[in-house]
Amino acid sequence: MMENIRSVVLFGYGKFGNTIADTLSREQVHILLVESNDTLYGRAVEAGYAKAWKIDVTDDRHLEDLPINSDETIICAMDDDHMNVFLVLSLKYLYPKNRILAISDSIYATQKLKMAGADMVIDMYEVSAYRIHNILNKPIATRFLEGFMDHSHEYSFREMVIPENSFLDGMMLDDVDFGKYGVIFVGMIDIEKGNDFTFVTAGERHKLDSGDMIVLIGNDDDLDRLEEAISFHREVVLQ
Amino acid sequence: MKITPGRDKEPFGEKITAFFDKLHKSKRYKRAKSAVRTLLEDPTSRFKKIFDLTIIFLILSSVFILIYEVKHPIPKWMDIYDIYVVSFVFLIEYLLRLWIYNDLSDEFISEYDRSIKLGMEFRVWKTLAALSVKKLSYVIKPAAIVDMLAILPAYRPLRVLRIFVLFRFLKLLRYTRSINQFVEVLANKRFELITLLILLMFVVTTGGIAIYVLEETHNPNINTIFDALYWSLVTISTVGYGDISPVSDFGRVISMVIILFGIAMLSFATSVIVSAFSEKLNELKEERVVEEVNKNSEFYIICGYGQMTKMFFRLAKKEMKNYIILDKDSDRVAEAIQGGYKAIKDDASRHDTLERFRTANSKVTILCMSHDDVENIYITLNAKSISRDIKVIARAGSVDMIKKYERAGADHILLPNEVASRMMMSAILRPRVYEAIHGILTGDEKALLDEIDISRHSKLIGRKVKDIDFRGFRLLFIGINKGDSGEFIFNPDREVELRMGDTLLVMGHRINIEYFREMSFTENV
Repeated sequence: MMENIRSVVLFGYGKFGNTIADTLSREQVHILLVESNDTLYGRAVEAGYAKAWKIDVTDDRHLEDLPINSDETIICAMDDDHMNVFLVLSLKYLYPKNRILAISDSIYATQKLKMAGADMVIDMYEVSAYRIHNILNKPIATRFLEGFMDHSHEYSFREMVIPENSFLDGMMLDDVDFGKYGVIFVGMIDIEKGNDFTFVTAGERHKLDSGDMIVLIGNDDDLDRLEEAISFHREVVLQ
Repeated sequence: MKITPGRDKEPFGEKITAFFDKLHKSKRYKRAKSAVRTLLEDPTSRFKKIFDLTIIFLILSSVFILIYEVKHPIPKWMDIYDIYVVSFVFLIEYLLRLWIYNDLSDEFISEYDRSIKLGMEFRVWKTLAALSVKKLSYVIKPAAIVDMLAILPAYRPLRVLRIFVLFRFLKLLRYTRSINQFVEVLANKRFELITLLILLMFVVTTGGIAIYVLEETHNPNINTIFDALYWSLVTISTVGYGDISPVSDFGRVISMVIILFGIAMLSFATSVIVSAFSEKLNELKEERVVEEVNKNSEFYIICGYGQMTKMFFRLAKKEMKNYIILDKDSDRVAEAIQGGYKAIKDDASRHDTLERFRTANSKVTILCMSHDDVENIYITLNAKSISRDIKVIARAGSVDMIKKYERAGADHILLPNEVASRMMMSAILRPRVYEAIHGILTGDEKALLDEIDISRHSKLIGRKVKDIDFRGFRLLFIGINKGDSGEFIFNPDREVELRMGDTLLVMGHRINIEYFREMSFTENV
């Protein structure tokens, strides 16, 4: 699942766009950068995005010419709110199958972007305000969660798909001791029961099948160890 | 150059110097003085409150006796109470206030030291006289005069002094803030009001003299210049009792002129007072808001009412009680007030602004929400210069600024751009994790990540991790933050013992977390 979103289309290299581009390229994501402003385009090329496109994004014909695959995620991060909404509207029509994410910096724009068809809108102020709220009310929890998103993370969230022939296949969830791997089991997505995420604390009894996705928190090394272990048919605790 | 310390030849003078020196060095004397200062002047002191209430009671009872006495014979004890007790307490109060007004002994000694250093002759009496004048300058302050007059009714032989009991009423001024503020507002318009008063006196006197000269001979009601002045004032004030009225045409012309003047002056006076209040009204209101916030032992100062602050309040309105919003822009302040928030127009980067808040014994957190880095950094420095204990959470505009914020001492620095792009990144790369994390902190749906503080009364103290049945509570135990070291232990060993001040990090449904928190104070946990 992770592999097919290793490539994204990013519109805008302005104040939001460039932070997003930098963060994504650090994560080895392939970026197709599109910009309409000369100065910003120049800056993008300078920053190493040699394959950036400079087109008039208000013109549908130009948008149609872009090499966008149907499985790529599109990010709209133009500096101008009006332009961003307009772009989402055009792209939704031209690329109805693609997942479109947009960034917004006001409550009003967020609503409009959603109406225009963005699948997900990240409101810059909302997320920051959340962060402040959390720092004040739950400092430890916030620090812990921040660690997941950070590069220098100690712990991370990891999704693992149970492979076929794994010892986990067919086991009851309660019988598995994740504790000995030093990781915490958070929840799972049971393919038999639809694609909903179930937290462990929901208290339901689950049978694990191959193809189910389990979500765990832990130290990267421990997670690696577990990921390797579950590929075996019999449980072996690797040191 | 040889320095010869100046010596006073008089032995008495030397004794005085020695006496002041002793006072100057005495710790007990200093302690006593500072205790009296606290009692009389420190608004946060509990003793001052009791003292104030006592004085207010004495004043009210004394005024009551004055009124009661008009128609009824008063019992002996009331008389004694009124003359001796009340007046005596007031006298003591007066003397104490005079005492703490300045530090005579310190000033005397510093003057002495100065003259010795300069090699000049030290003149005891001259210094004493200069310092006494300084002390006596207290006596002519309006508040001190009122205090003095409030003591006078104790002198019984002069019946007219009884009316001075009313000055005791004026003493209440010291204890009622709203009247104080009223006087303050008027004092700001001192120039206009004094001009008006001089003009009034001029017109009254001129009119009075004119009517005296013109009508004294044939108006039976005007016999002295006092009658004439009295008439003039009654007329100009538009009261017009009519006990004295002009009888000649000339007299009537003078009346007409005076009446016109009177109307003009009244309207002028009204407008001066009204404008003084409308100018000060906002300030007074803001003062109240600040005082309100200062009463709390923990509060937030939020600088800037922009997008981010609005968003923040949408999330935290319910929990945020002790806060104040500061903004330089009056439109934005008006908007905040309209939105139902406690906001005042003030510049948080100024030292005096933050000084208004009680930062000494309270936990203060400042949120710098402005989009201007220069301003935010300045506010951070300003806050940290007032007290290192003030916690500052600042919003930064770009990555390059973070270093500067760190140097300024900000406790948390937040980059909205960065926060959003990280979110974006997780949304793209790990959509499920994103959903989980987003949901975990806000706790809208299935699971919430929350902290359980182990406070003094918690029954968790002394338990080991393995003793607690998190599963039974349907909670996921993630880790523990040790209170003593501040270290976070992820997925700790089952043998770890819980201590007071530790914080448990758990995940679960809101209801289950609440239940666990409640149960942590009972044996059932």
